[in-house]
Amino acid sequence: MERDLQLDNVGRRYGLRGPWVLRGIHLTLAPGTLTRIEGPNGTGKSTLLRILARLDAPSEGRVKGRPRTAYVPERFPSALPFTAAGYLTHLATIHGLTRTSAQRAAADTLERFGASSYAHTPMAQLSKGSSQKVAVAQALLAEPELLVLDEAWTGLDTGARAELERAVAERTTAGGAVVFVDHDPRRLAGATDAVYAVREGGLARRTTPVASEPAVTGPHVVVEAQGPAGGRLPADAHRTASTAEEPHPGTYRLTVPASHSDVLLRTLLTSRPPWHVVSVRHETPEGGR
Amino acid sequence: MTALLRYQAALLVRSQRWLPPVILYAVFLGVGVQSGQPILDSLGYAAAALLPVAAWLVRICVAGEPPAARACVSAAVGPARAHLAALLVALAGAALLGTVATVLVTLISDPVSSDHQIRVPRVPAGGSGLLAVLACALLGTAVGALTTWPLLRSPGRAVPTMLLAALLSVVVTGSPAHAAVSGLVTGSQQGTVPLPLLPLAAAAVVTAGALALACTLTSRRSP
Repeated sequence: MERDLQLDNVGRRYGLRGPWVLRGIHLTLAPGTLTRIEGPNGTGKSTLLRILARLDAPSEGRVKGRPRTAYVPERFPSALPFTAAGYLTHLATIHGLTRTSAQRAAADTLERFGASSYAHTPMAQLSKGSSQKVAVAQALLAEPELLVLDEAWTGLDTGARAELERAVAERTTAGGAVVFVDHDPRRLAGATDAVYAVREGGLARRTTPVASEPAVTGPHVVVEAQGPAGGRLPADAHRTASTAEEPHPGTYRLTVPASHSDVLLRTLLTSRPPWHVVSVRHETPEGGR
Repeated sequence: MTALLRYQAALLVRSQRWLPPVILYAVFLGVGVQSGQPILDSLGYAAAALLPVAAWLVRICVAGEPPAARACVSAAVGPARAHLAALLVALAGAALLGTVATVLVTLISDPVSSDHQIRVPRVPAGGSGLLAVLACALLGTAVGALTTWPLLRSPGRAVPTMLLAALLSVVVTGSPAHAAVSGLVTGSQQGTVPLPLLPLAAAAVVTAGALALACTLTSRRSP
């Protein structure tokens, strides 16, 4: 339970008599959940994320829980006197890794985001997108219990964007909480557990309208899988999939957000006894279901 | 904390921003200290000149890390500890610089009193100078911590305040740095080696308070 992060009637203002940026915020981030925060520019989304990452202390109210946290800022400076790999190695040791595993984690994460080629380039020479990859990589080095993403996708190339979505899926499956702000309404659509809107300094939970907003579903993957005789779909697979049908006894057709397809396949293939994956195909949201 | 200190130290060393204050200190010493001068006078001068340099090093360590990079580190370890690491690295840098200067000054100065009449033992004088240098490094760190983010942000106000506070800490009676330095000067006139333990302890207490205040405010001020 102590891995929950809980905001209790939290308010924040800058200066002793400044206007309230946020007020009366109640929010709980439970392990394994994905939370989206939305709202127009300048409403205090970033301030809320800074409070969740415990970078800012609330001016009133309380924050309870202290999960191991990683934070990706909106804009990441390249004005650091390190190489990309050197910086990530430092950050990994700060996150608690030993020196050897820190170096390995730095190399692995850079490779994951297609950034190995500039691992040894000084950060001052990196492009905006490349330094954003380093910013994302530093947050994923040490498997944080809480991942706070402030428009982390901005500036990433298509491959890295999809990779970050998959990384988020992995984190939540492994029991970490993820909270994010992004301007693309389709970002991780269909995978979020809760959506909150910051409005006039307050926070309102948005109950996701299913019928009225059909556009807000991201790309999906349909997985057909066969279980052992009389086997039931593993509970984890049930949770990951957005829909599960059983066209024939023992055969399941599972629809899953594209970001979560790897997680689903891993669950099926590593369950005991293992499931057989018959087919995997991509389904565009416009494809009509 | 070790990883954090290593990161901050690497940030300071690689940024090369430490060069101007170190050169300034070298110039201070080059102007004010010559071989063959009375040892305690020169040690007092070396200690007093270190105070503004220590404050400047703090400014470099705190302002040298971009806010977004600081946020990444702060999320992992908490903003207070991240800030403390920067301050401690600056203090260690100032202490190292002061120690090197003390050793050099001790070696090249004449072990005599101001009027060149009484002999002053070289090694105890050097030890006494080291304590004074540490007191000044501590107090300079306190001045730096109180005149940079999160307490003062705009450089237009912060830098003059820092310089004024550094100057006052050396010259105002009652300040531990002033006590340590004037102890050396008086000792030189009388031909006795002082033991500035009390000023050092006072400087440590003042600095601990200043660092605690600065670290507490990190999460309360805007980045």
